[in-house]
Parts: sequence; C-alpha cells; structure tokens
Amino acid sequence: MKLLYSFLKDMQLSLKSFYIYIELGFALVFVAVMLFAVPENFEPRVTVYAYLDLEGPNQVMAEESLTQEGYEVILLLSREEVEAELADNRSSVGLAVALEDGTIVYDYILQGYEDEKFKNIIKTSIESGFAKEMPGYENVTTVTTLEGKGEKLSDRLNILPVFLALNAAFMGLFIIASYIFLDKDEGTIKAFAVTPAKVWQYLLGKMGVMLVSGLMSGLVATAFIAGLKAHYLHLILLLIACNAFGSALGLFIASFFDTMTKAMGWLYMSIIILAFAAVSYYMPAFSPLVIRMLPSYPMLFAFRETLYEVSDLRYIYANVLGFSLAGVVLFLLSNWRFKKTLTV
Amino acid sequence: MISVKGLYHSYSHDEKYAVKDANFEISKGEVFGFLGPSGAGKSTTQGVMTGLLQLQKGNVTVAGYDVKRASRTMFNKIGVSFEQSNVYGKLTALENLEFYRKLFDVSTRDPKELLEIVGLDHVATQRVSEFSKGMKHRLTFIRSMLNNPEMWFLDEPTTGLDPAIASVIKEIVKGEKKRGTTVFLTTHNMFVADELCDRVAFIIDGEIKLIDSPRNLKLQYGERLVEVEYRDNGDLKKETLSFIDEKDKHHLNDIVNTGKVEMMHTKEATLEEIFIKVTGKGLQ
Repeated sequence: MKLLYSFLKDMQLSLKSFYIYIELGFALVFVAVMLFAVPENFEPRVTVYAYLDLEGPNQVMAEESLTQEGYEVILLLSREEVEAELADNRSSVGLAVALEDGTIVYDYILQGYEDEKFKNIIKTSIESGFAKEMPGYENVTTVTTLEGKGEKLSDRLNILPVFLALNAAFMGLFIIASYIFLDKDEGTIKAFAVTPAKVWQYLLGKMGVMLVSGLMSGLVATAFIAGLKAHYLHLILLLIACNAFGSALGLFIASFFDTMTKAMGWLYMSIIILAFAAVSYYMPAFSPLVIRMLPSYPMLFAFRETLYEVSDLRYIYANVLGFSLAGVVLFLLSNWRFKKTLTV
Repeated sequence: MISVKGLYHSYSHDEKYAVKDANFEISKGEVFGFLGPSGAGKSTTQGVMTGLLQLQKGNVTVAGYDVKRASRTMFNKIGVSFEQSNVYGKLTALENLEFYRKLFDVSTRDPKELLEIVGLDHVATQRVSEFSKGMKHRLTFIRSMLNNPEMWFLDEPTTGLDPAIASVIKEIVKGEKKRGTTVFLTTHNMFVADELCDRVAFIIDGEIKLIDSPRNLKLQYGERLVEVEYRDNGDLKKETLSFIDEKDKHHLNDIVNTGKVEMMHTKEATLEEIFIKVTGKGLQ
C-alpha cells in the first residue's frame, strides 16, 4: 500500500508540473509531423536532363527507355541546354544520346562531384533501360534476400521505433533522475526517510510515473501513426520492459551523484550513446559490434517487429525478458546504493 | 529511550570528525536539549540517531532499536521535525499530511486537528508553495506529530517563528512531555532550552563539553546576586548585592526592613552565559 501511496503522490505531483504534459505534447507534435509533413515513403528522384540526337524508331525507343521508376527525365533540344540546366540544378545529371556511324553513343554529363559508385549506378540503370527496349531482351537476374521476412514497413512507420525507444523508453532515464534531485533539493526525501516506508517503495513509485507517461506517449504516437497495424499487446509489454529498464538505468546513474548538475553530463552522454543505435537501424550496412552491443539496438528492432503484420514473437519476447531482467538488476543495484546515499 | 556511546562521525571519512566521542543517555519522558552554535555537530548527531546519516563508529540505541541494524518499523515510534522546512510545495497542507500519515503502520492523528493546533486550518487546502516561511515551518513541525511519536526529535522548532506562534509550539512540546513523550531538542536558542529542557548538553566543535539540568548549571555557574530597586529619601536607588557576601546580606536585610523596596529579583546566570563560560564560545 505504501508503494501505491507513493506512486499516487508522485502522479499527483507530476500532474501539477509540466513534464507529463510536455511529453504528451511532444508525442502529439511528432504525430502531426509524421502525418502531415513526412510522406508515407521517401522516393528520391533524380532529375535527368537528356538531349536525344536521334531520329525515327531510335528516338521513340530511347524516349521509352528513359521512363524508369525513380528518374524524372526532361528532354531538351541541345547539349548546351542540358549543360545550362545542370548548372542550375546541382543535384541533376545530364545525358546526350546520338547516333554515330550506326552506333548509339551515350554521353553522360555529370556535375563533377559524383563518386565512381554513383556513376556506375547511373550508367547501369540507364543502359538497362535501353537494353529492355531491345528485341529479344530477357531479364536473367535472380535476386535472393538473406532476410526471410519479405514484409517492409513504410518509411513513415519505420521512424516510429526510434521515437518509441528514445522517447517512450529512454526519456525516463533523464526525468527520473531530475525528480529525485528535486526531492533532494526540497528536502522531502529526508521527510520520507524518517517514515517506515522503504527506499524501494520510493524509487518504484517514481518509476511508476515514468511508466505511465512513457506508455501514454508511446501508445498515442503508435495509435495515430500505425493505427490498427500494430500489435498492441506485444507493444505494451515491450514498452513496459524497456521503460522500466530506462528508468532503472537513470536511477543507477543518479545514485552516484548528489546534484542534478553533477549527474547531467553522464545522463546526457548515456542518451547520446544509446541514440547511436538509430544509425545502424537506418543503415544496416553500418552496424559494428560496438553499436550492436548497445541495449537500444535490439530494442529498436523489437519495436519494429511489433509493427509488422507477422511479428517475430520470439524476438519480441526475448527483448521483453531481457530488458525486464536487466531492469530488475539495475533497480536492485540502485536500491542498494540509494539506501546509503539518498539522504546524504 | 536513547543511548549514545562513543559516537564519532566524519563526512570526509577521515580524522576530521564532525562529532567526536559523544556519550549520553536520555530517559523516557525526558526533554533533552542539545545546545551549540551552528556547525557544532548538533544536526550530525541527530542525523545519526534518526538514521539519515550512517553510523560510522560507536553505539546508538533509539527507542529500543540499535540504529546500526534498525528496522524501518523504528520510525513508527519516532517523529522528526527538521530545521529547514521540507514539504511538497505543489501539494496543499492537507495533502502533505495525508500522504505522510499513510506511510505509518500505527494509528495516526487527524491532520485537520493538527493544522488547527498551529493555526493553519484556514489554509489547509492551499498550496504550500504559497505559504510563508513560518507557515511551512509549522507544517513541518506538525508532520512530525502524525504518528504520536514516543521519541520526538525537534531541530530548532521555534526558529523563524513570531513570539506568539513560538509560544504555541513550546506549549505543544510541554503537553507532549506530560503525555510521556521523550524529546531530543536541538537548538541554539538558550531561552527555549531553559524553558523546556530537563537536561541540556553543550556541544562545541563536535565534542560534548557538559551535560546537566539548567537549574544545576545556574546554581553551579551563577554568581547568586540579587538586584534591588528601593526608595531612599524619595530617590530611586538600584543596587546589585551578593547572597554570599556577609556585608551585602546585612545591607539587603536593612533595605527589606525599611519596607521601601519597589522591585527585587535574583540575577541568575543565563544558559548562554554559562555556555560561554564553559566553552569559551558564543551560541550564535
């Protein structure tokens, strides 16, 4: 019961302060940006300014071959016009195609900053476009994916796990520490310490507040962005485990300091380091061991799993279990440390 | 009720002791004053006894509990009023008391009744952040009474209060003493100590210099003088005479026999004067 009273008091205090509204407001702003400013999918289109010095069927074939997905082709009347447009639009590429001695000659006009990789991609994709138009063309390329799951999330939905990890799970890390230092400043922690209530009840009450605000912001964001696509039961359990882990980590770090000013640097650094996992999340090709070892790394992929139509339950619940256990261990360590340092 | 033996405490965990070899015992129902200037080691001693500071060296027993291995249930018997008000500013006075009373396992007093005792009943539902310093101090004081403590720690209970409210606080302490509550009173206010305490301890630079009752201290260290104002041929005269000196005793007798005494009172040493005499330092 003392835990309940401690939690209710902390809820009452947080409802009378700004934090909980800021977190909810931030979730709503995130939702608004995602729904109204971010497209469902990012489609990077390269503008190709082309001059086709061809005639008859060659001209028709060349025009048809250039209409490929991902490219916006603008036909111009001379190579000079192509160069002028390239000067105006520095992210575009140019192409001049002419028939010389019965052979079609491709002349790529680039900006000068493109690397070999980009040059090859442009060259190959445009050539393959022409090749498809050739009589007797047959695509013999077979693509095999190592990842079994064929389902891909939309780009918008793919951003949601980052919000869930950094805001709903790890924001508590920072806030719970500030709540404790606020109590230290007010001296109310000493008043609590001379009652029969235990330190773990005090700490767990605060974690409860973090959990409520984390669940609230996480579920609001998911409900608006993913709608019925998300698996809410899995998501809620994962949010609870991850939020508890984040808060317990915040408690553990805070237990080494006596003021917020001293703890701030370490807390901030922790958030920044945890955020590095988002880089590998978006660029799987860059996922060194040091990043894969960060707890935020599996957390991001576990949150992503809850958004797939067919979720990898084993992966999700391995994370739920892992973060729950890690949270319990960190909480026990924090409790042990705070017993000695809470009122000093 | 309290036993402190060979208590040492160092904040830097070295030989720089804030409290050095403190030894004293307090009986049930006694009001024990701990007098000393700021930084003397009063709050440190109280901090160790209330479990807010870890016991480093020595033996401390409070209300039957060994502080080194004390269970949290010890706090059902203890009340602590802090020198610095420490209440939740965002909650009302009533919400503050209601929260803390729920943390005890024993029957508690009605918060409204306590608020009434110290004249805060009219602001019971007001946010504490809007309170004056004195109001917050009164709230901190009555919070320590919620669980009807057997052992009551009071740290500067009248500091910053106007005389009328300070008088109310002193009367409450006297009332609790009558009910058998043991009080450990930390203060640098000699008048409060003199009025309330059965015994006082003088602490300076972490060391207890002396423990005795205010009466014994006055008898031991006072000069036993009497100040008398009387009329002599219409003129108002004022003299300070010794109770010990034979000549002064005869002169005092003569003055009394003439029946022209207008005012007379013994001039005892104050606790502050005794403190200075014993420790060589003031109480401020």
